[in-house]
Amino acid sequence: MTKKVVVTGLGALSALGGNRYEFWDSLLSGESGIRPLTGDFPGQLKIVSAAQIQNFDSQLHFSADRLPQLDRYSQLALVVAREAVTDAGLDAIELQSAALVAGTGCGGKETDEQAYRQLYLDGRKRLHPLTIPKGMPSALASQLSMDLGVTGPVFAVTSACASSNHAVAQALMLVRSGMAEVALAVGSDAPFSFGLLKAWEALRVLSPDTCRPFSADRKGLVLGEGAGALVLESESHARRRGARIFAELLGCGMSADAGHITEPSVDGASRAIRSALHNAACSANAIDYINAHGTGTELNDITETRAIRQALGAQAERVAVSSTKSMHGHALGAAGALELVATILAVYTQTVPATQNFTVAGEGCDLDYVPNDAREMKLRCALSNSFAFGGLNAVVAVAAY
Amino acid sequence: MDTNIYSVVVKAIAKQKQISEAVIDRNSSLESLGVSSLDAITIVYEVEEILDIEIPNEALENLTTVQDILDGISQLVQSKA
Repeated sequence: MTKKVVVTGLGALSALGGNRYEFWDSLLSGESGIRPLTGDFPGQLKIVSAAQIQNFDSQLHFSADRLPQLDRYSQLALVVAREAVTDAGLDAIELQSAALVAGTGCGGKETDEQAYRQLYLDGRKRLHPLTIPKGMPSALASQLSMDLGVTGPVFAVTSACASSNHAVAQALMLVRSGMAEVALAVGSDAPFSFGLLKAWEALRVLSPDTCRPFSADRKGLVLGEGAGALVLESESHARRRGARIFAELLGCGMSADAGHITEPSVDGASRAIRSALHNAACSANAIDYINAHGTGTELNDITETRAIRQALGAQAERVAVSSTKSMHGHALGAAGALELVATILAVYTQTVPATQNFTVAGEGCDLDYVPNDAREMKLRCALSNSFAFGGLNAVVAVAAY
Repeated sequence: MDTNIYSVVVKAIAKQKQISEAVIDRNSSLESLGVSSLDAITIVYEVEEILDIEIPNEALENLTTVQDILDGISQLVQSKA
């Protein structure tokens, strides 16, 4: 029998607020974190809308001697991980033997871009010695281990927009296998640096106004930044220490399209969903909610709809499907963690957050997308989908506890 | 020139270690100031930037006191002049 794994701590930092409480309140009230893009950029940008964290003061969170080591993506990761650990009530000894898996799609882009600007544009002869340790894609994992005193297995995974869900899958397997009783899964991305924004513009998938997943008039995704964190532990460990249990982490499914570098595949996504159901020992009949990848791009939303139908069959008709990206934007490598926090809180509170900005269903988008109003309903099991550029898919299954 | 180098080095150490310049003198050992190898290369980076000199890796071997740093830099600055 597979060891039961439960979720006992949550953290969320996004355009919807500085903690999981603000995140959830905003998701239920339908408040949008999508606003006009702000920032000091050295050139013209076509991007007008973004889901940026408001009023993040790094000096409130980090001492003057720590800050120079921390790229923004590490800063966001540390803040949410501290929240999740406090939320779970873990002490220093429990943290010491824990595992930690961090997901990021972009890594320390801000650091890299500043460095390259100094070299290529400003004609500087040398770079700051912290450029590598601050910007490397595993920097957040190292910084998290140092900040929290986690000395078990710690590493970073990267799979673009599925990074967080792949991190959760690894953390789940570490606990199931007995390699750790407690495993933190953290996802973080801070993509608002000029070069990265220009690169996103080149893909022509960004909405000129807002994010309208599954609607006929959807115009693309809205980039977001943020971080999410979850504390996973074996059920026996959680019960022994009397922890509050938000939900059971039932299982995960992963697949690769092995197809196109940007175009998603129905079969690939569907296989990830079916694999998650199989891993969770859960039938389609028991799934009541899916937090969709739901980016608001033409291709994703129609492909995801077909994949859900292919994987769940007739059960797809009665499943509530919503995209919270309509409010917190697409936080890339952090998306899965933020959306899993939303999915778990949905199961915990028996309330599904809506797909906001919904107008009229798009062609081929024919599921129940919970348009514009959050819904109280009976929730047994739920899925959280992440389907990354490059065809890397990861789906996580949770159940009410 | 020596006064300027002294001031630049002390400022760089104080900045990196977040300590007062007043606690640093020529005879302070780098160990007592808590200067790790990463601190040392960061301090050297600051000094290189400000004095516009290139400090070779060999010059960073066997540094134990603030005076050792000052001596090494003075030689480089003199050879440049």
